[in-house]
Amino acid sequence: MQPTKDSFYVALRDRLVIVDPNRTVTLDGVTRPAIAVLENEPPTGAPPLCDTFYLHWGNLRPADLAAGTLMTLDCTISYCTKGTMQNSSLDRGRDLASLDNDLIAICAPPQTAKNDYSSGSPVSLGSNIFWTQPVLNAAKATPPYTGREVIVTVFFYPEVNQS
Amino acid sequence: MPDQPGNICGRGRSMLRFADALLRIQGATQVTLRLADPATGDTGSQLGLEAPASEDLPISPAVVKPLTPMADGRRRFEVVVGASSLRPIAKLYGVEDLSAWLIAMTGMLMHGALLRIDTVSIDQFAGTDCLFHLTATE
Repeated sequence: MQPTKDSFYVALRDRLVIVDPNRTVTLDGVTRPAIAVLENEPPTGAPPLCDTFYLHWGNLRPADLAAGTLMTLDCTISYCTKGTMQNSSLDRGRDLASLDNDLIAICAPPQTAKNDYSSGSPVSLGSNIFWTQPVLNAAKATPPYTGREVIVTVFFYPEVNQS
Repeated sequence: MPDQPGNICGRGRSMLRFADALLRIQGATQVTLRLADPATGDTGSQLGLEAPASEDLPISPAVVKPLTPMADGRRRFEVVVGASSLRPIAKLYGVEDLSAWLIAMTGMLMHGALLRIDTVSIDQFAGTDCLFHLTATE
C-alpha cells in the first residue's frame, strides 16, 4: 500500500510543478511545491497552511469481488485560502477557484506508474495505479478562510511482499 | 513633554524582570523544547522517510502545571515560560514571531515523553510580551 500512497503523492507533486510552478510553500524551512501528505509531516500543533494541498489517507477496502485483488484507497485532499491582504480577502473565492483548477489539472491523467520509494529513489514495480475523477465537495467558509475537501479514490493491486 | 507610560525608558525590561520573578516565586523549573532542523526538502523527507535532525533547547525559569487529562487519558500540561529566556534563543534562529515558532516546534520533553505543543498564548504587561503559556499534550 505504501508504494501506492507515495506514487500518488509524487505524481501530483511533479504535475503541480508543471501546472503552477509559482504555487509553492515553505514547510520545515524548505520551499517546495504546495502539496503535502499530512501523515508525513511533523505532528506539531501548527494549523494547516493556506494555499496548500494536504493529502489525508482514508478507507482501504477491496474494490469488488469480481475484480480479484484490486484494492481501493480513499484520499481526501483539503485546502483553504484567505485571499490576499491587498484585496482585503475579497479575492478568496477567486483564489479558491484557482486552487480548484490546479487540483483538477494535476489529477489528470488519472493514472501513474507505481514505484517503491522506500530506498530513497524510485524503483519501478511494473504496474500502474489509477484513480477516480476528483469530487469537489461544497466550499466551507470560515471568514476570512474559505476552503474545501476533495475526494479521490485510488485503485491499486497490492504487491507481493510489499506492505 | 514626558513620554507616555508605555514609553518610559526601561519599563519593558522591568516588566520582563517582574515576569521572571513571578515564575521563580511559583517554583521555577526547567523545560526542554525540541526544535527540528530545516528539512532537506528532497522526496525522502516529503515521504516521511528521513527525519530531520533536532535540537533540544533548555528553557528556565518555567512553571509546569498539570491540566485535566484528555477524555482518552492523555496527560496535558500548561507550561509558562518568560520572554526573557525565550527571546535570546529565538534571536539566534532569526525568529521574530515567537508564538508561531513555538507552536511549530516538534514538541516539549517532559517526564521522558515528547509532548505536542497545542496552543500558545501571551501575557502582556505594559505593552510588552512577558509570559508565554504553552499547552502541551501527550
